[in-house]
Amino acid sequence: MVLKVENISKKFGKNKVLREVSFEMNHNSLYGIVGENGSGKTTLLKIIVGEWKPDGGSVSMNGRFGYCPQQTLLFSQLTVDEHFSYFAAAYRIDRVTLAGRSNALMDFFNFRKFRNEKVCELSGGTMQKLNLSLALLPQPDLLVLDEPYNGFDWDTYQHFWEYTGNLKKEGCSILVVAHLITEKERFDKVFNLEQGSLT
Amino acid sequence: MNLHRIMTGIMMVLKMIFRRRIVIIALLIIPIVFLTIVELTAPVRIIPFRLASLDNMIFINKSLKDIAFVFFSVTSSGFLSSLLALSLIQIEIEVNRRLVICGYNPFEILLSNLLALSILIFAIALYVGILVSRFLIISHFIPFIAGLILIGFVYGCYGLATGSLIRGKLEGIFFIVMLANIDAGWLQNPMYYAEAHNNIIIRYLPAYFPSQSAIITAFTDYSAAPARFYGFLYGTGFLILALLIYYNKMRIRK
Repeated sequence: MVLKVENISKKFGKNKVLREVSFEMNHNSLYGIVGENGSGKTTLLKIIVGEWKPDGGSVSMNGRFGYCPQQTLLFSQLTVDEHFSYFAAAYRIDRVTLAGRSNALMDFFNFRKFRNEKVCELSGGTMQKLNLSLALLPQPDLLVLDEPYNGFDWDTYQHFWEYTGNLKKEGCSILVVAHLITEKERFDKVFNLEQGSLT
Repeated sequence: MNLHRIMTGIMMVLKMIFRRRIVIIALLIIPIVFLTIVELTAPVRIIPFRLASLDNMIFINKSLKDIAFVFFSVTSSGFLSSLLALSLIQIEIEVNRRLVICGYNPFEILLSNLLALSILIFAIALYVGILVSRFLIISHFIPFIAGLILIGFVYGCYGLATGSLIRGKLEGIFFIVMLANIDAGWLQNPMYYAEAHNNIIIRYLPAYFPSQSAIITAFTDYSAAPARFYGFLYGTGFLILALLIYYNKMRIRK
């Protein structure tokens, strides 16, 4: 098992956002969580990655994980290459491995030509590609994606699914949280988050 | 704690700062503006001025203009260091949080910011020291620079603590400007301090010991070691406060 979420509850003031949410993910699986705006998707995700503490319940995770947040959380004054170096330090990836992986990601998502550009000079789509690539850099066992394809053009969207398909074949599990999932056949399971509970 | 991560953090923080042109312009211009105002407005009248941090009642006779030069060099060093620290800790805090999720320890990020800030404080102190020495003769230049570094350290750590505690940029700047204005910019001013009724209050403010250290070394042969020691303690207090708040804010709850 790569992820086990048990009886997670969270409230903000009197508003109960999550009510005893539980699910498990095994290796080689692709799960989706959909829900309306404000249904608690991002709250659940932030609890899974450890950013927020739940009021009750627990999360256990096995192996490396990569997290792609909904917003493009990047340093505006650093270049694409510098982002890879900074995050490689966080993931404890050595220089040689970093060079191979970052080049492969930039080639796959077709933004290598911007490697020396500062983030503040990139287009929204390229920022999103970098945002995603930083989550993929550690070659995670579990990839957690919050609204990953916002801002993608059609070509990048296709590349995204190709890449996640390859990751899944290699044993990685992927959890996609989105307000809309159109191609449900790609997923092993799609949960609906409604009134704080998964259905 | 991982040295490679800290070194990477320092390099990235410095790159981010030096790519913001407005920051560099402010660092270069503000001390010049402060000292030019002193040159154009301060009177040259000689006054007896008491070195308050020394045990004995020691007075020195100096022109108001010379005192004002030293005092404004302290003020500008402290103010700039504090603003830089605030900006370092507040800007892109969410991205730093992402780094923590990916494996950085919050202490490593804060330490990277602190070490990058130390380099900048040293550079600011040296720059301001060289500038002010164009206007008056400093008795002991290196100990004087140490006094400017000390105000940078105390106010830099105050900026880190404020930035860790307060999320809003405007509110953070308000707290920096308010303290810098009241403390470094007004109450420590020897011309005000000499006439103050309750100068015991002034002695407990953060700029007191660094100001005293700078003034003692600029004009006399007395030792400023006690002032430097207490100033260092003050800065360390702010630093510990900043570390605790920042760690609590950034830690991952697993």
